[in-house]
Amino acid sequence: MEDQVPVVAGVHMIAIYVCAVIAVYAALRVIIERNTMRKLPFLNVVSFAITGIIALLLPHPLTILAAAAFFVGSTFESNAIASTWSGGMKRNG
Amino acid sequence: MDEIVMAASIVLVLLGTFSAILGRDPFDKLISLSVMIAGIFPFIVDRGYLDVAAALALIAPLSTIFILMVCQRKVPS
Repeated sequence: MEDQVPVVAGVHMIAIYVCAVIAVYAALRVIIERNTMRKLPFLNVVSFAITGIIALLLPHPLTILAAAAFFVGSTFESNAIASTWSGGMKRNG
Repeated sequence: MDEIVMAASIVLVLLGTFSAILGRDPFDKLISLSVMIAGIFPFIVDRGYLDVAAALALIAPLSTIFILMVCQRKVPS
């Protein structure tokens, strides 16, 4: 029964390491960028990397639900920030 | 959790926090706050509180929406 549990160690951890490196690099780019509009794609990159970390962290069937919820929520959040920054809906033409 | 992933999450939380403190533009502060919230999720998932993580991932954008309603950019008419 023990060998049915997926062993997450060694070379199999390289995917989550890549996700962590991408998250840190995109967060640094978010902080360093001056223009607000150029920050928002890197915010999306941070969200994707954290989604990968969440999905790879635990071998549990409910993990994919949490990852999907985080993906939907963070994409919704950054889209709300972008659309409000760019002025929102134009009223009266 | 592995040490490298934990270090990356700590870096994300600290970067988001200090950038939110030191920023000037309200939208930059909101973006930094979003980075900070993204950084705390691996700690919640690592303990196994997956339902808490799913609920928080759906509730946290609502607070951002409410702050965005306050700091809407004034377009010159």
